Amino acid sequence: MKIYITDGTSESFFTAVFDAYPEKNCIITSDKDIQLSLDSEVINVAIDGEKTRRVTEKLTALDCEAVKDINKVLRSCDALKEQTAFEYIKALTRHKAPIKKAYNLPEVIEFNDVLYKITGEVHRIKGLLRFMESADGTLYAPYSPDNDITELLMPHFVERFKSERFVIHDLKRKTAGMYNGREWITGYVGEAEIYLSEYERAFENLWKKYYKAVNIKERPHEKQMKRSMPVRYWKFLPEKKD
Amino acid sequence: MLNAETLEILTESAKYDVSCSSSGSKRRNSRGGIGNAAAEGICHSFTPDGRCISLLKILMSNECIYDCEYCPNRKSADVRRARITPDEICELTVNFYKRNYIEGLFLSSAVCESPNRTMELLCETVNRLRKVYHFNGYIHLKGIPHADEELIMKAARLVDRMSYNIELPSEKSLKLLAPQKTKQSLLLPMKSLKDAVDYEKFNNLRRKIIPAGQTTQMIIGASPESDGQILKLTEALYRNMDMRRVYYSSYVPVVQSSKLPTVGAGLLREHRLYQADWLIRFYGFNVNEICEENENLSSEYDPKCAWALKNMHLFPIEINTAPLEMLLRVPGIGAKSAYKIIEARKFSKIGFENLLKMRIVLKRAKHFVTCGGKFYGADSFAQVKYSLLIDGKNEVTQQISMFSTPAAALSALTGEI
Repeated sequence: MKIYITDGTSESFFTAVFDAYPEKNCIITSDKDIQLSLDSEVINVAIDGEKTRRVTEKLTALDCEAVKDINKVLRSCDALKEQTAFEYIKALTRHKAPIKKAYNLPEVIEFNDVLYKITGEVHRIKGLLRFMESADGTLYAPYSPDNDITELLMPHFVERFKSERFVIHDLKRKTAGMYNGREWITGYVGEAEIYLSEYERAFENLWKKYYKAVNIKERPHEKQMKRSMPVRYWKFLPEKKD
Repeated sequence: MLNAETLEILTESAKYDVSCSSSGSKRRNSRGGIGNAAAEGICHSFTPDGRCISLLKILMSNECIYDCEYCPNRKSADVRRARITPDEICELTVNFYKRNYIEGLFLSSAVCESPNRTMELLCETVNRLRKVYHFNGYIHLKGIPHADEELIMKAARLVDRMSYNIELPSEKSLKLLAPQKTKQSLLLPMKSLKDAVDYEKFNNLRRKIIPAGQTTQMIIGASPESDGQILKLTEALYRNMDMRRVYYSSYVPVVQSSKLPTVGAGLLREHRLYQADWLIRFYGFNVNEICEENENLSSEYDPKCAWALKNMHLFPIEINTAPLEMLLRVPGIGAKSAYKIIEARKFSKIGFENLLKMRIVLKRAKHFVTCGGKFYGADSFAQVKYSLLIDGKNEVTQQISMFSTPAAALSALTGEI
């Protein structure tokens, strides 16, 4: 069986789709530690712009949202994400029409599961991300999301904080989205050293005070709180640190 | 900078207002401004009582000239008093917003000095926030009863949502428990706001007045009205006042008074009312179908189950052919599931295993549907009743909260909290 190993980028994935599409039985993955069997044939995919273009054009012709959705799925932490997207593409070309709403097709169920996890986390982090103001006024937000979503978050915060400068730092992947008040980029950022503005602690304390005061003690429901705000996100929330 | 004790007093005074949603407005950021509104609403944190924090919810002042019986801030109550200036509110809002703690401001106030003076100060605050601080995030402003219409309209042009709380479910109870607020002082401003919004709508003008509409809130269990009466009022508010939401808050005896009951209404009653409210808004039910005028909702069954048990002759329905209106009436099938079924059956016939794979919960629904003619529910009516009852018991112990889980799920779907 052929195993196509991509470098994790979408270009590399679409190139692999082009090559793998005629194959009967093959796997696309970016997981370099994948278990091999005796009959496996490993192919390291080399990005080919022409192949990528042809695949994305074909997909867009079938469903104008497909490429956008697939690009989101490729940001997932799911080890099988490339294969899930590949199966979705095969189903799409088989049906020759958008299948996003075919909620009873197994390929679509699996694809949507991964997709909703991404869009769900993006929505959640839009609320749970916390910025700190540094001495020069730049806002800095460290976080470690399950999925690689920094690029998906940037437009939201750029629109909001148009005239600010800010950095969203994914500590897990050592990448960051940076906005200088005019344009934004993403790139590798290992560690960041931050000097906080003199007001930062005071506002943080006011926020903690507010959080405590707004709670209605007579109606405890911790389970609901944890369901909506999983504990793994707490370490970056000032109101949850003591 | 604002001191912590003032913030504490004014937050504790505001926290019994249930509404915290930040949805329904698409306000854009301005050049050089800060913030915008997200139509779907964003929750920024959750407190140990399970409620979300979306807006900075505070009173401008809790020094009140009114003496409403149920209110912890009433004139005769012995509580700490505080007030903050418009600038302090603006600074706090912008700084919380910048750190992404909040989605915007929910500003309310006790009636200090006079209704007009209070409304003027609230107006000045939101005006400063928009014009001086260039804040374009979400603002929900509480209206002050008896204030001049001119002031109300001025405020309505600046904020995303306004609310007048109806407080109690009947005029009689309002007279008894909040004698200084009259029915007219609450309903007239609601009506003027609705008319102003309608004027923009019908003349195709750009929406400037409260793009996220109005909401209201009433206390349940402090007065003797039945669930049927409460729901009738709710329906009228949705129809005649174009409310986006009616909130219920279950009465908690924090204030000692001979006019008030000594026990709280309990969270189950509140939960059932919200379930009924959802059926009215999203599931095409009339109040009369759910609850008779002088009746209360069943505590054993949720309102949809109770309705279905009374109307067994309409079931089972066939998943592959039933119209949306009927799918929505099946206990256990929510708006999301109904929508999924409608879309999925365009592609292929749906069998029982498909429903499971689509993650449609069938524990209750299986007694009311067939898949390709096959029925998977219980044999007798008694068995159906029994299994729904057991299921309901679990739900009651697990799901009681101000924002029940199906509610939260739907809000994501409709963007209309």
